[in-house]
Formats: sequence, structure tokens, C-alpha cells
Amino acid sequence: MIKVENLRKTFNGNIHAVKGVSFSLEKGEIGCIIGTSGCGKTTTLKMINRLIEPTDGKILVGSDDARSVDPVTWRRKIGYVIQKAGLLPHLTVKDNISLLSKIMKRDRDFITRRVDELMGIINMPYDQFANRYPIELSGGQQQRVGIARALMEDPPVMLMDEPFGALDPITRNSLHEEFWNLNEKLHKTIIIVTHDMDEAFKLGHKIILMHKGEITQVGTKEDFLERPANAFVEDFVQGHSGE
Amino acid sequence: MNKFLICLFFISNLYANVPIIIGSKSFSESVINSEMLALLLEDSGEKVIRKFSLGGTKVAFDALNHGGIHVYPDYTGTGYVMILKMNGEREPKKVHEIVSRQFLDKYGIAWSKPLGFNNTYALTIRKNDKELSSIKTISELAGKLGAYKLGAPYEFMERKDGYKGMASEYGLNFSQENIVSMNAGLMYSAIKDKQVDFIVSYSTDGRIKAFNLRILKDDKNYFPPYNPAFLAKADFLKQNPVLKETIQKLEGLISEDEMIEMNDQVDRLKQDPKDVARNFLINKKLLKGEIINQEVQTSFISFAYSRKGELLKLVIEHLWLSFSAIFFALLISLPLGVLLTRKEKAAKLIFPVINTIQTIPSLALLGFLIPILGIGFAPAALALFLYSLLPLVRNTYEGIRAVDRNFVEASRGIGLTNTQILFKVEIPLALPIILAGLRTATVIVIGTATLAALIGAGGLGDPIFRGVSTVNSNLILLGAIPSALLAIIADKFIGWSETQLVSKGIRLAKKRRA
Repeated sequence: MIKVENLRKTFNGNIHAVKGVSFSLEKGEIGCIIGTSGCGKTTTLKMINRLIEPTDGKILVGSDDARSVDPVTWRRKIGYVIQKAGLLPHLTVKDNISLLSKIMKRDRDFITRRVDELMGIINMPYDQFANRYPIELSGGQQQRVGIARALMEDPPVMLMDEPFGALDPITRNSLHEEFWNLNEKLHKTIIIVTHDMDEAFKLGHKIILMHKGEITQVGTKEDFLERPANAFVEDFVQGHSGE
Repeated sequence: MNKFLICLFFISNLYANVPIIIGSKSFSESVINSEMLALLLEDSGEKVIRKFSLGGTKVAFDALNHGGIHVYPDYTGTGYVMILKMNGEREPKKVHEIVSRQFLDKYGIAWSKPLGFNNTYALTIRKNDKELSSIKTISELAGKLGAYKLGAPYEFMERKDGYKGMASEYGLNFSQENIVSMNAGLMYSAIKDKQVDFIVSYSTDGRIKAFNLRILKDDKNYFPPYNPAFLAKADFLKQNPVLKETIQKLEGLISEDEMIEMNDQVDRLKQDPKDVARNFLINKKLLKGEIINQEVQTSFISFAYSRKGELLKLVIEHLWLSFSAIFFALLISLPLGVLLTRKEKAAKLIFPVINTIQTIPSLALLGFLIPILGIGFAPAALALFLYSLLPLVRNTYEGIRAVDRNFVEASRGIGLTNTQILFKVEIPLALPIILAGLRTATVIVIGTATLAALIGAGGLGDPIFRGVSTVNSNLILLGAIPSALLAIIADKFIGWSETQLVSKGIRLAKKRRA
């Protein structure tokens, strides 16, 4: 479904932030990119939706090449969720969710129906929450609205940058479960950037460990626990699990 | 603008019944003299526009020279010293000859014959000042003035025949901190209330009589003659024989005592200069009609009520001036402020310029603009426009820069274009700060607009300055109260519109932070 080939990013000609990253995910698969801060995981994610233009490499969603269209059109095909949701404080829940669809001049009835449906999916009934402002929601509720916003145009691929990072552990846990169940139904291809190994183990079909701009290991939870590629991976897994 | 004025000038030649614009400086005598001319012209069927209260000599003369007014009265001594920058001659006829010749050569401006009286400067004291009771002439003061206070009009401190010349001629030794330059109208109250001991008064001022003051003899003939006469462009006079004939009726007509009497009626008895001028002309059989017996205004309320028509006109002028300035400032500032957030280098160049404009004192700014735009609405509106730029541009710029980059990045990430981000995200989020800038700009502009009266743009400053120069507190209040009210109402209105325009989500967030 999504294929990243030899992705590179060089800032100012000599700072190599990402040095040739390749991986792929099937439809319905969740991939978690994990690593210490400065390892290039967020840069990689932002290159995929072209918030940062890659210096070199190839990105394919289905058979579409990222470079075949302009960045705005490309981003509209990819759902995007960031830490603390990034909901616009001057818009209500329903206006936040439907922002892009309104800009794309979607039919009004479609928008109303879709917002209602999505709010059902995230367990925030329309009647109760549609007209609230972000400031009137809890952190977990804001994050769910952020996910609903990303799903509005029904993109095949979603990118999430530390989506559960700002939440307290209890909320985070319950959201993890909700999110997992949700994607069992929706079958989106999802890339999550995280620094939390537990989260990666819980949500990721595939875990991509990055270090100093390169991929150190790609694999499942079992691969990481039983067959770490090297001593760094072993240390990383031990140091981070059970945190 | 100049081309526009020239066009206007030609059109005025084509159509005979185009109004004659009469100016005057802001003190009673000048207003009374101009009013006489206006009344006589109206009596012969001419249309007249009154631009009275034109600040000082510079404003009035520049206005005449650049076509903002057609005629105004000035004094031979003023023309000689202030405008021609000459000094030395003190013989009245010779001074009149010199100014007539030189003004025609240099500016194409003609002087009429003098109106009669001489209104020169005079060093004046309280009649009942015991310590000075033996002093009769200025010479007797030499070297004795260390502890006394002097009040003098602003102009007097600057002009060649002003304070410096007088002090050296007579050996006067006022110490620097005891010299107060002040508005000519306030000076008389200051000496009456013993705030100062000497003033440099005008020799025909009604308050010399009314406030029981005494003029010290200018025994060395230091002060040049100040004979008033009407000034107009020679070309304009040729094309308007009626104006010329009407001015001739006033030449040599007014004696010193008559002028003191009329000044007193306006300054102390608070009579309308128009009525005083009309009564005088009726007495001289130049106008027909009944002498108007003035009721003396008592309470402010009844005074304001009696002038409600004038008040309404002034409020409209004031608002029109303020809002056009704000409107155009908004039109420029919003795009400029946004643009500067995209061009940080340009911002570093432009903000110092706008900051500097803001620090120019308002009167000085108005002064700069007169040679370029003449007098009236245009320079006043431009000055106010310039003053409102800083709060508007700065707040737009800061407001947009203060928008959390997370919101911008999230919006870009979900597929908004830069333009959509600006209008759907940045501007709505910056709106409270932009509106705060609008609020500041509006209050500044409504307050500063009172100064516009000094360059003939009207508005609520007009009664304030007329009131200050004629010591008429009712007139001052007639301008001051409404302009303060307008500023408060505008402030409240923008505050209210904030609750309508700014999203509830932002207001809630603001409240929660507070």
C-alpha cells in the first residue's frame, strides 16, 4: 500500500538527517517508527506527506508517486494527526472535522452525514459534542477529534506524529485499545511516530527502529524481543519496555 | 494636488458665484476682522466659506500662498518680521510700503490699506501690583527681574522682534526658568491669577481693560507697528472686483478703542464674534439691521443646546475625518502587516520608519504637510492616517506571528494552501490582537483629530481652539466633551464587536488562561 524507497534528507548541504530509509506497509497494517529524539523519525514522516521535501528517494501510495502531483493535492490524500491534535481553537468540533471537506467544496449533506458518522465512530455523539470548542474537551477527546478529522476524506493512508504523546497513561491505554479496534474495522494503512516502545509493541504490526538517520531494524514485536539485530536494539528494547 | 487646485482655480473664474474662502487666525480680533469681511460680502450676494481658527501665522499664510484660502487679515509687523525675516524699520507707513512691495514680488500677494488700529506687542503688568507700582516704562526694569515670571505667546519667543531682541534692547534679565511660553489666550488669565507677573500682551486686547492690567511704555520704540490689513493673491483680487471693493470699505475704519471694545465683548462677555462684527458694521452704517442685544450664556447645557446645529456639524466632520483616516489605514495596514510576517528583512526596514512617524509631534506633522497638501481635510486625514499605521501594522504583524506554529503546520499537513491557512487559521487566531490595535488607533485618531482644526479641517477641535483663544470655557467644553465621548463610544463599540467577531473558542481559551 505504501512504499518508501531510499529516502534521504540533507539540510544545508551537509547535515544528513535521514540517510536512505526504505520500508513498506500493506493495506491495514500499522507501522510504528520509533527511536530517540533526533534519530530522523519525524523528518521521515514529514517527508512522506511532503511537509519536508525529500532530497532524494521515492514514495509510493498504491501506484501513485508523490512527485507526480503538487504537495497540497498529495497531502489531501493522506490523513495527518499530530501531538495535542492540532485542532484549531476557533472552530467547533464539527467545523474542525469538516474543515478540509468544506475547502474542497464537498456537498453539504455529505459533510453533515460524514461528520455524524465519524463522531459515532470515535464515541463522541454529535448532539453532545458537535458544537463544542476544543478548549471544552479533554485531551483524549481532542485526540479522537484529531483522528476523526484525519479520516474525514477517507484517505487510504494515515500519518500520526506522537498522537498519544501528550495524554496521561490511563487515557493513553484506553485510546490505544479503541484505536486498535477502530482500525480492525477501517483497515487503514497507518504510520505512527513514537518514542514509547510499549506503544509500538501494542499498536505496530511492524516496528521500524531508527538511529542516527538510518533504520537499525524492521520487524514484529517478537523479532525485536527474540531476535534483536544488534546490541543497540537490545539495549533500546530493554531500556524502554516497562517504562 | 497642486494641479487639482489650479483646476479649481480656473473653474472658479468661469463661474462667478463660486465661494470666496476667508481665513483667520485663531484669536478673537482676527476672527472679528474676517467676520466683518464675510458679512459684507454676503450682504452683496457673494457666497463665502469661513475657515477661521487657522492656528498661527505660518498656517494662515501658507494656506493663502498655496490656495487653501483666498483672503485673510494679517499685521504689517508680522509680514515684515515673521515672513520677510526683516528687522529695523519701525515707521508704520514705511513698513506697510515694504511688505506691500515685497509680498507682490515674492508671492504675488497684495496687501490692502490698514484697517486703522495698531495691535503691537506690549509688556503688561497688573495695575494693582504694589512692587511694580512706580514703574512706568520698560527701561526702568533693566536688571531688576530675577525673581519675576514672564508669560509670552509661543510666537513671541521665536520671532526676531520677539523676546531676545526686547531683552537685549532693554537689558531685561528674566531667568530662563521664569519664562513661560503659552497660548496667547491663556496668558491673560495667568497674569490675572498671579501665575505670572509680566505678560507680552497685544495692545488692543480687550482683557487689558477687563482684567485691570496696565501697559508699560515702549520708551525705546522697540516693537514694530502691527497694522492689520487684508491679504489676497493679486490675480484673485483682479478677478473679484467685489472682494476688492468690500475690503476698501473696511480700510481705516476701526480705531484702537473700538477694537479693544469688540475684543472685550468677545473675550470677556462671551458674545459671538459674528454678532459683534455685525453690530459694529450696523453702527458704521455699512449694514442694515437691528443691533443684537446679546443674552449672556450661563450654563453649558443651554449653551450647547443653543448651538446644537453647529455641534452636529462638528461631530459629523470629526467622525468623517477620523473614519476616513482609519478606513484607509486599515486598507493598507492589514495587507502590509501580513506581508511583513512573510518578509522579515523588509519588516526590519519598515518598522523603524513607522515608529519614527509615530514620534513626530502631531502639530509638527501637520506643519510639514501644509506645503504639500495645503490646508483642510486632506493633510489632516493624511496625518491621522499616518498615526494609526503603527498600532494597526504592528498588531497585525505581531498577532500573526503569535499564532502557534503547531496550528499552521497541522493545517498545512491536512492539505490547506498558504492562502487558506492565512484566511482560515492565521487571521481568525490573530483577530483579538488586530482588534486591540484597531482600538488603540481609533482612540488616538479621535483624540488627535481635534488638532485638525488648526489647519482648517474643522471638527471638534474648532470650538476648543476658539474657546482657548477667547477664554470661553463653554466653547472649550463644546468641543472637549463630545470628542471624549466619541473616543469612549468608539472604544466600547470595538470592544463589543470583538465579542461578535472573535470566535467563542478563542474567547473561552483567553478566559481560562486569565
